[in-house]
Amino acid sequence: MTITAGPLLPREDARDAALFFVVCALCFLAALAALSARAAYAAADGWTERVAGQITVRVVGDDANAAEAERIAMAAPGIVSARLLTRSDAEALLAPWLGAAGVPDDLPLPHLIAAEAAPEAVSAAADLGARLSAAGLDVEVDDHARWSSGVNRATEFAGLIALVAVGLLSGTAIAVIAFATHAALLTRKDVVEVLHLTGARDGFISSLFERRFLMLGAQAGALGALLAFAAAAFILFALKQADDRIWLLPQLSLSVADGAILAATPVLAGAAAMLAARLTVLRSLHEMV
Amino acid sequence: MKDRQTISLDENSVRFDRVSLSYGPTVVLSEASLVLAPGSFTFLTGPSGAGKSTLLRLAYLALRPTGGEVALFGVNTSRLDRAGRARLRRRIGVVFQEFRLLDHLTAYENVSLPLRVAGDVEKRYRDDVVELLRWVGLGDRLHAKPPTLSGGEQQRVAIARALVVKPDLIIADEPTGNVDREMGDRLMRLFGELNKRLNTTLLIATHDVSLVRRWNGDLLRLSNGLVSREAAADRTEAES
Repeated sequence: MTITAGPLLPREDARDAALFFVVCALCFLAALAALSARAAYAAADGWTERVAGQITVRVVGDDANAAEAERIAMAAPGIVSARLLTRSDAEALLAPWLGAAGVPDDLPLPHLIAAEAAPEAVSAAADLGARLSAAGLDVEVDDHARWSSGVNRATEFAGLIALVAVGLLSGTAIAVIAFATHAALLTRKDVVEVLHLTGARDGFISSLFERRFLMLGAQAGALGALLAFAAAAFILFALKQADDRIWLLPQLSLSVADGAILAATPVLAGAAAMLAARLTVLRSLHEMV
Repeated sequence: MKDRQTISLDENSVRFDRVSLSYGPTVVLSEASLVLAPGSFTFLTGPSGAGKSTLLRLAYLALRPTGGEVALFGVNTSRLDRAGRARLRRRIGVVFQEFRLLDHLTAYENVSLPLRVAGDVEKRYRDDVVELLRWVGLGDRLHAKPPTLSGGEQQRVAIARALVVKPDLIIADEPTGNVDREMGDRLMRLFGELNKRLNTTLLIATHDVSLVRRWNGDLLRLSNGLVSREAAADRTEAES
């Protein structure tokens, strides 16, 4: 005859299934929000990195003024390269808005010089502007700092909102689990009392619930993370299909950092569930003598 | 009632020293003092609502008194932390009036529960638990869950659970209330055997006067929150 003792707590019931669904949904949303936050920060980095050290000079005047400005720029200290943009360069820049037909011949185009500053030349744009003005040229120098700071502010704000969402969703998940643990305790009060009265220590009783909720949280978190991965992959795929200028959008590239977020979701969900269960059980046990 | 001077601090006694318990204005127990000597066999009787179950709950540490001290095995329980109280509970086998079996566990699992709680390894206790269940007549019901057992069978499982740890103190609330006379006598014989062979202290609450007569134990009467004691020897003398 084979006799083996089964688990001390009753097996999962319908309430556990409902809790699993809720925790899974919260983990899905939290993981997606975390991915969004990371994407927002990555996008800000990507965008500002692209324009870091880039200086655009608009020269007011004729072609001779533009050529003179290019020459001065090339010789200016801290400037690595400077190039006067041609009409075809301008057409390429305007192609997304004006189409393949190009720029009409009678449309006046500004004289633009694309310069690149050395990384250590922090005041290269200001110095170049001063040098060009000193040469009697009417120019506007833009190092994209205002645009970059605007982008940074916007993406940081978006990232912050996503982080707040992650925090709120995590807090909600913990509160839901604590509530569910309390409900589970009430429905299994007979088990807890009998264990208590047969000499079980608080830690022993608590560990039964902790194990149960650790597994529930980890499994729900894993499924939620998997769904978030699928959703992120679908969004990335859909965006790539919709537009080849994907670089304008946040970096949904499912990088190592994204993998870390997805991998951390079940771990954190399991840990949060276990902690919530522990605190709830211990608090309830302390109401017993 | 014993006075304070005669209260022993013996290691293996149960001692209530002026224990009171009130729920708001309702006094359930009023300065009750009693001593159960190690290896004593004591019945607790009293009318319904007299507080027998409350006194038992105080003895198996399910309640804290609102006044006085409860000492078990020479340890003042009011000074114990939670872990210490849990340790003491492992030395007590309780047969609850309402059995308090866990419906999702089999008879075997219910009986082995205190051993699992104490951290025993199953392969070491498995045979003992099976043997104990056979002894109480449930050898063929090892895998049965409480809802499928009769009241008497459930009671026998509850008793086996209380006995399995070979406790120093057994507290039973109407242990023969749901079994027939033959089984009741059999259980009482087992209690008597444990009492004699292992020096287990027994405290049994019962309404059954004939049970008290047949098993010549000391008697505690509980009435109006007060406890009075009648030694078995005195009762035998008076009856003869």
